[in-house]
Amino acid sequence: MANNQSYEIDIEELLKKHYKKVIAGVVVLLLVFDAFFQIDPEEVGVITRFGTHVRTVDPGLKTKIPYLETVYKVAVERQMKQEFGFRTQDPDVRTRYARNSNAKDESLMLTGDLNLANVEWVVQYRIDKPHNYLFRVRNADNTLRAISEAAMRQVVGDRTVNEVLTVGRAEVAGKVKVIVQETARDYSLGIQIAQVVLQDVNPPEPVKQAFNAVNEAQQEKETLINEAKSAYNKVIPRARGEAEETIQKAEGYATKRVNNAQGDVARFNSVYKEYARAPQVTKRRIYLETMQEILPQLGDKIIKPGEGDNMIPLLNMQLNKNK
Amino acid sequence: MNQNKIIITIISAFVIILVLTQSFYTVSEMEQVVVTQFGKPVGEPITTPGLKIKVPFIQKANFFDKRYLEWDGDPNQVPTKNKKFIFVDTFARWHITDPLQFYKRLTNERGAQSRLDDLLDGETRDNVASHDLVELVRNTNRQAAQTDKISEMIDDSLQDIQIGRAKIQKNILEKANNEAADLGITILDFRFKRLNYVEDVRKRVYDRMNSERYRIADKFRSEGQGEASRINGQKERDLNEIQSQAFKEAEKIKGGADGRAAAIYAEAYNKSSQTRDFYEFRKTMETFQKTFDSSTTVIFSNDSELYKYLQKMD
Repeated sequence: MANNQSYEIDIEELLKKHYKKVIAGVVVLLLVFDAFFQIDPEEVGVITRFGTHVRTVDPGLKTKIPYLETVYKVAVERQMKQEFGFRTQDPDVRTRYARNSNAKDESLMLTGDLNLANVEWVVQYRIDKPHNYLFRVRNADNTLRAISEAAMRQVVGDRTVNEVLTVGRAEVAGKVKVIVQETARDYSLGIQIAQVVLQDVNPPEPVKQAFNAVNEAQQEKETLINEAKSAYNKVIPRARGEAEETIQKAEGYATKRVNNAQGDVARFNSVYKEYARAPQVTKRRIYLETMQEILPQLGDKIIKPGEGDNMIPLLNMQLNKNK
Repeated sequence: MNQNKIIITIISAFVIILVLTQSFYTVSEMEQVVVTQFGKPVGEPITTPGLKIKVPFIQKANFFDKRYLEWDGDPNQVPTKNKKFIFVDTFARWHITDPLQFYKRLTNERGAQSRLDDLLDGETRDNVASHDLVELVRNTNRQAAQTDKISEMIDDSLQDIQIGRAKIQKNILEKANNEAADLGITILDFRFKRLNYVEDVRKRVYDRMNSERYRIADKFRSEGQGEASRINGQKERDLNEIQSQAFKEAEKIKGGADGRAAAIYAEAYNKSSQTRDFYEFRKTMETFQKTFDSSTTVIFSNDSELYKYLQKMD
């Protein structure tokens, strides 16, 4: 107890003795703490003295006049993004997204043919003029959101729902980027648009099924046509081949027919030449030679008297018996 | 004595600090100031940033924002000229151009926002009601590109406009600015943020889109069937054509050959009565050779050429 008492007295006495030094020390510490500051690699520091923007400093350990100068840190190198029609809930390798009713209102828009489409997109941007970003506009990020929504609807409003859903995607994103960039410059937002990227572009939920039905019907049509074509291709080339075959065969027949005729005639002519020399003898010779040749091959040979026609029935009987 | 001195020191320091803070004030880059003396504006408004001086206690510095400020319209349900009920959501950017006037007329930003609501919402309502929906949606008379079969099929086209979104926005902006001229503010820009059908109109639009799509689907299907039938018919036609053509050709070739052969034969055989005779004889002999075989029974008369010597020798 006594010890403690003496310790307290010690401090009081010390303070009484050195209070000027203590105050000076605290003041110096406060000044030093406010004089030094750090700017991170993606930032710049905008420094104002009595409210006036006097200089901009790059990353590193920097100094300023304590209390009379104020520093605003602006992340100029950081790529920022705004999402329209959805919100990234959990960015990861496999990112999850949320689509609440507020986000849905952002994405549902009228197309030029007065239909509706759901367009989701992302605007990526950087702060390129920190002075404008800080001092020229209140709430620059919010303003950018409004500009982007208006620009997207302006561009989509000049296109049909088919264009927006199919080929127009890249064109739409490009046009929106130009409009947003121009408007951001007019508004002195100090923001540079890096990219406008269209995400899902879909027909609204209640008409999705009908849009799918069209795709299915288109497939069905292709299938029907392909099947018919395949049936055609199965039959026609074969028929062409067969036709070719028929014609080739006919050509073959024709050649053969003519050649045969020429052969026959050549043979006839040469035989005739001999015949013309001695017609009677040759004729007889040919006749007898032919008979000699064919008679041995014949079955029954019957020789009857010149006027014996009445024996024919008898012959019939014998022939039947032989069978 | 000593204690009094300390008290006096503290009080005078306090007074000095009070006087100093009342005499000096800083204006930041985003602010502008109107100095008032007993509520009455004194001198020109201060629009440049820096450390400023005023008469302490008597004069008061009224700070106003110098930046572009937001205005967001209340989503309004408005009928268009062609009686389509739509939600219109708008936004504008404005700034205080004459702080003195602003201070006199509107006092503060809340007052300004409320005036802007009146002006811009009113103008929006008037302008929407005096234009067709398509004039609000479209911006240019850009022609629709035929993107694919579907767009061809429904004859995708965009209705031309007379005025368009940009001009309507500009019109609203100009009119509102005219009315706001003596308020010390300027509206920088006014835009439609969102336009959308109200719920039950939306349902009808969905119905229309649905029926349009199903119509396309039906058309696709029927086109497919039609095309398939056409191909089928062509298949039959081509098949018959190919086959009959081949038959015709083949018969022609054969006929030609037959004719040529006949001519060749005729030329050789028809030279004279002798050749005719000889041909007939040869052909007969040949026919015998070809047609007679072991199943043939021949009855010769013994006065025939061959067997005449059976009867008698001359």
